[in-house]
Order: sequence, then structure tokens, then C-alpha cells
Amino acid sequence: MLSRVANSLYWMSRYMERCDGILRLLRVNYAYSQDEFDQFSWRPVLMIFSDMQPEKIEQTKYEGREVLQFMVTDKLNKNSVFNLVSKSRENARSVQDNVTKELWQCLNDYYHIIRNEGIGLGLKKEDPVTVIDALVQQGMHFYGTCEITMARSEGYYFMNIGKYLERAMQSVDILNVKFSELNYSLEDRSDPTYWKYLLLSISGYELFLKSYQSALDSGNIIHQIVWNEQFPRSIIYSVKRLKQSFETLKTDRNSDAYKALSFMIGKLESDIKYSDAKDLEAKGLKEYLHEIKQDLLAIGSALNHYYFAFN
Amino acid sequence: MESSPLFNHYPTSKEIYDEMYNGNEIRPHYRKLCDFLSTFPTEELSKKEEMARRLFMSQGVTFTVYSGDEGIEKIFPFDVIPRIITAAEWSYIEKGIKQRLKALNHFLNDIYSNQFIIKDKIVPIDMIYSCEHYLREMHNLKVPHDIFVHISGIDIIRDFDGTFYVLEDNLRTPSGVSYMLENREITKRIFPDLIPQNAVRTVDNYPQLLYKNLAALSPRHQSNPNIVMLTPGIYNSAYFEHSTLARLMGIELVEGRDLVVDNHRVYMKTTQGLQIVDVIYRRVDDEYLDPLVFNSDSMLGVAGLMSAYRKGHVAIVNAPGNGVADDKAIYIYVPDMIKYYLNEEPILKNVPTYKLEDASERKYVFDNIEKMVIKKTNASGGYGMIIGNAATEQEIEDYKKVVEEEPRQFIAQPIISLSAAPCYINGKLQPRRIDLRPFALFGPSGIEIVPGGLTRVALKEGSLVVNSSQGGGSKDTWVLNS
Repeated sequence: MLSRVANSLYWMSRYMERCDGILRLLRVNYAYSQDEFDQFSWRPVLMIFSDMQPEKIEQTKYEGREVLQFMVTDKLNKNSVFNLVSKSRENARSVQDNVTKELWQCLNDYYHIIRNEGIGLGLKKEDPVTVIDALVQQGMHFYGTCEITMARSEGYYFMNIGKYLERAMQSVDILNVKFSELNYSLEDRSDPTYWKYLLLSISGYELFLKSYQSALDSGNIIHQIVWNEQFPRSIIYSVKRLKQSFETLKTDRNSDAYKALSFMIGKLESDIKYSDAKDLEAKGLKEYLHEIKQDLLAIGSALNHYYFAFN
Repeated sequence: MESSPLFNHYPTSKEIYDEMYNGNEIRPHYRKLCDFLSTFPTEELSKKEEMARRLFMSQGVTFTVYSGDEGIEKIFPFDVIPRIITAAEWSYIEKGIKQRLKALNHFLNDIYSNQFIIKDKIVPIDMIYSCEHYLREMHNLKVPHDIFVHISGIDIIRDFDGTFYVLEDNLRTPSGVSYMLENREITKRIFPDLIPQNAVRTVDNYPQLLYKNLAALSPRHQSNPNIVMLTPGIYNSAYFEHSTLARLMGIELVEGRDLVVDNHRVYMKTTQGLQIVDVIYRRVDDEYLDPLVFNSDSMLGVAGLMSAYRKGHVAIVNAPGNGVADDKAIYIYVPDMIKYYLNEEPILKNVPTYKLEDASERKYVFDNIEKMVIKKTNASGGYGMIIGNAATEQEIEDYKKVVEEEPRQFIAQPIISLSAAPCYINGKLQPRRIDLRPFALFGPSGIEIVPGGLTRVALKEGSLVVNSSQGGGSKDTWVLNS
């Protein structure tokens, strides 16, 4: 497969995953903001998922509707859903002959939907959850189409590598959003309503009740999002799938690249797998998450170096 | 059947050949279609039109127009009423194109080697050397199987009496074939069963024919040569076509930056390292192909490509340098080429053409400018031309001045009253002017033309310019089996 094509498929997939993560995050934060007595602050969301200037964040942090529009339809926000979908489609467009016609059409439809003015109006004046849910659905359509139509060859695995790498990063960031507000303290003074919405938004609430049968305390939440192998958005799950997808790329022709990356991915998997709540406490949550994030970023650059560098 | 409101007030005139009507009579080959259409309530046709638009949009059969930092997706307008060509008309066109291409291919082989046609004074030498698409780099370069024009699109029009003429030859990187294929697919969706009922000949095998020809050119004799399609990238207006053809043939779509030349061999950069390339179907113009030989600023090409080509390590399709044969001034000599190389009378006529370099012809053209079209010899897409009866006096005066400066760069032709075909516009059928671009494939085993091609329509009332860049659209084109 052409390096450029692999690179485009990987990014197409990463952008879609990021898009899904952001939409879900917006949904939970909006729902939560409707429950809160005090004014709900969007500051952590804007800090972590956009490059809005700090002064601007201070001005906008209580304006939920404005934040939603900024995160979904704003053309100047690099990480807006609008731009993510456009970039994902642009990547697909440049490799149209390497994705199935169905997959291309699905992304192309998503692109035409997100350009529709109704989206912005809905977020401004009507029920934003309806709008967000419709977009999330479109993303699910993308995932389903990938699974059902794409040939299980290199391209598909590069897409999965992009997807799981991005998902692992998203899960780290989702924890960062809440815990940065709590100053990364694990003292149990966090509020159950937020955790409930968080879990609901990433389809993890029911699994949580089954796994932990207890109150929504932050320790269990962290466990679910970091270590629960049954939870498809947990960091360990994402890294394991990343590893699986990567292992399919093993051939005789490119063994140096393969060795370098498989070492990095394997090491990250072990680091997470063989650490527990005590290690985390000893290291501090902030540092623990930071290290995982750095490892994920390093894997991203190594992929770039060994597999996509075509210039 | 003419009771259907669709057919109300369809204007016909003696000055325009109508593909559907002969006077007030519907021509026999359009009858089945008319019967079918007259069973339709008109609003139903509008629904079909909307359905076609949505299908094009969702399949991304679009070209992008950039304004500011934002791209706008546009559809190449599609008219739902097919254009029909009889079996007899088609076999005439087909014979004519094959003859013409044979002669043009001989011409290219000759002009880049012995130049007998110049020595025998059929084509004047300065016509060749003044042509900016003539490539000295191609001199004495032996192209595989002596084929230069692997892929061509010959534009055919009809005058008021129905006579076919060749308007121009496109021998460089003709586009539009994907629209021929997509238009047929859309017709199948919007008018179920209509195609089999009319016994329309299929165009679907074009990609397979093309693949077969490309594979036959591979310099390495092995069953599975590596064939790639070279595109300038997603910002090119024909990008949709490039990716569609690559997909339909199952070949890799590459950009210049995906390729590298090492020791006179071309490789592509893959996740598994470098992989050799045997055949390149390029949709990048000659002057951008190789920055070491042509335009040194080009980022679209591959440094060293021409040296690999010269060594015979890679085949390039179409061959570079074809522009000397489809130059609008060289066009004048094509009937003579047919006589010279094939010893045959030309089957398809040329439109009478005046060389503006010749002072007396130039005077004649300027004196009769209201009946003339003046065109630049090396331009396409409907750019750089002026139509005598449609331009203001000031425009004509300005244009004359430009012509006087560089007369070799211009030719003139009498305004041909293109034939008209019915189009569905504002709830009824209305005649609009059309042309036809059949796509011919010249391979080691001969010339093949899929029956049909792209019919382009001037959608503006009264307009004679069918180019998509000038507000033209297209139609599905049917060639009937009998």
C-alpha cells in the first residue's frame, strides 16, 4: 500500500474517532449543565478540546449554547466537528479508490449534513441533544460501514490503528476534563451525577453498575476507564486493539519498522496492565495520565516516521 | 402521445437539425422513449431529476470550485432525457474515428522520426516548429508498439442538415469518460427497465478494455504488471474521474510525490518499501511530467521520469508530445494526413477552417466576422474563443488586435449550427444544442470505441458552447443495437 494512502486512511479514521469523542463529551456536559444549581463551567472542555485563547475561554465558559456552536459548527475552530468531518472526508477523497464506495458515500453524506445550516440553528435555539444525537448516529453509520464493507487488508488495519490510538487519547482526555477541575484529587468529593452522565455518554453506565455494584466514586470510575478490559472505551481495551491491528502488518520486508513500533506498543500495554490503583496513587493521577498520553503521542510519531514518511 | 403536456410547444426549425423531431414527426429511434415519457405526469419527471441530483451529490460525483478558503461542491449538470444514436449512425462515426486516429498516430510516429510528411510538403515545417506542444525530447524515442494516442476523445458535431463533422481531436489527456459511465448508472436508477427495452448497447466494459491495453504495454513481461494512474491530486477538477477510473480498474492512484526514480526505474513508495512501476496512465500534462526535462517548478511530476521512459523501463500513457497532433492549426491538415498515410478518402469531415496566419484568409475572416468563430489553437474548455455574432463590437476589435500580434496562435471556423436534442427544462421538453465525445482506445490489438460517449449540452437557450466550464451539462448517450 502507498505510504500516502496509509497515512490518509489513518487520519480519516482518527478524525472520525475524535469527532465521536467530542460529540459525546459535549452531550454529557450539556446534559449535566441542565442539572447543576450553580453556573456550569465549560472551561475544562474548552481547555482540553479546543485551542481557544484563555481570555476568550473566561468570557465564554458559562455560555453553553455558544460553546456548543463553537465546538460543532465553527469553521475557525480546528477541532470543531465541522472541520473534523471535512478533514476526514478530504482524506477519504484523496484515497477514494482505497475505501469502499459505501464508506465514501457515508462520509460524503456526513459532510453534506454537517454543512447544513440547520445544525447551527438547532444548537442555538432548539434541543441540542437531538442535534448531537443525530450526528453521533451518523458516526455510528460510519463505523458500521467500515466493519461490514472494508476488506480486511492493510488499509483496514491502518484505519483501526488510527481509531484505537485516538480513542485511547480521548479516554485520557475525558478523565483530564473532570479531574483537572478537581485538581486531580482522588478524594471522594466528586459528584455522582456527573459520573453518571459521563458513563451514559460513553455507553458505560450499565457495565459500570454490573461491574462495581456500588456508589459512583471516582476510584471506580478511573478503574473502568483505565483498566476495565470489557469496556470498549477503556484505555487498556484501546491499546490492546491497537496492538492487535498493528500485529497484522508484520511482513519480512519492513522488519525494522515493525520491531520498533511493536516494542513501543507492547511496553505501553504492559505499563498499563501491570499497574493498579496503588501505583496510580503513588504516581499521582495527573502524572499517570500524562505518561500514557506521551507514550501514545510517541507511537503516533513513530508510525509517521516508519510507515508514512513518503517525502 | 403528443397530447402529454411535456411535448407542448416544442419548437423546431429548418436551420437546426433536431435529433428527435424530423419536422413534426418523431424520428423512429426516439419513438419508444417518447411513448415512455408521455406516460409520465410531468411532476414525476421533476422528481426523477431531483433524484438524479441527489445521487450525484451523495456519490460525490462533483467538482470543487474554490472561492476563498472554502470549497463548494458542484455537480456537472445532468439532463435526464437520453440522447439516442442509431446503429447506422454509430457505425459511420466509429469507422470515421478509427480512420482518423490511425492517420493521427502515423503522423506522430512520423513527425517524431523521419518527418516524411514535411519533406513531401503536405504539412509546412513551420506549422510544426511553431507549435508549443511539439516536444523535441520525443525525437527518435521509440514508443512501445508505435502507439502514441492510446486514449483519445474526438469531438463530433452535426450541422443543420445532420452531417457529422469532427470539431476537434483531443489526444492529450481527454476527460469525461467517468461521466459517460456515471450517466449510464444514473439512468438505470431513475428509469428502471428502460435501457433493456430500447436495446441500448453497454458502455460498462470501458475500464476493462483500458486495463487490458495498459497491461499490454508493460516493459516487464509478467502476468501481473504494476500499473498506476498519476493524478495531479484532489484539487484537480477532474479528480473524481481519476479516482473512479483507478477504482474501476483496480489500479493504484498515485501522485507525483508517491513516485521516485532510481537508476532509470520508477518506483512507488509503499508501507513495505519501494515497489517497481511498469505502466503510468498519467493525467498530468506534458509540461509538468518531469521537472528535470520540462517545467522545473513542477511539483506534480517525477524527477527522472523521462529518462526511465527513454530507456524503455516504464510506459507512459498517453505518450508525451501528442499536443502537436491535436493543435487546432494542425487540425486543418488531418484530411490530408488521411490521404497521405492511408491512401483513403476521409470518412468524417473537418469543419472548414481558416488559418489566420495567411493574410488573405485573415482578411476574409475579419470581413465576415459575424459568421465566424475564432479560437486559440492551443486552448480548450471553451476558453480563449470569440463567436462573431455573439460578441460586442468592442470585444471583436480587441480580439482582432490580439490576433494580429500572433496570428499562428489562432484559427477561424464558420459558426456551425450544432444539432439540438430535447432536454427537460422547466417542466417541459425544450431543444438545446449538443455535441458528442466518443472515447477511443488504441491498443496493440487495434482501436476500440465503446458505443456512445459523452453528450455535452449547452443548457442556456440559444447557446452554442457546450463546455462544462461555460455552463454546459451532459446527457446519457445511447447507441441502439439495431
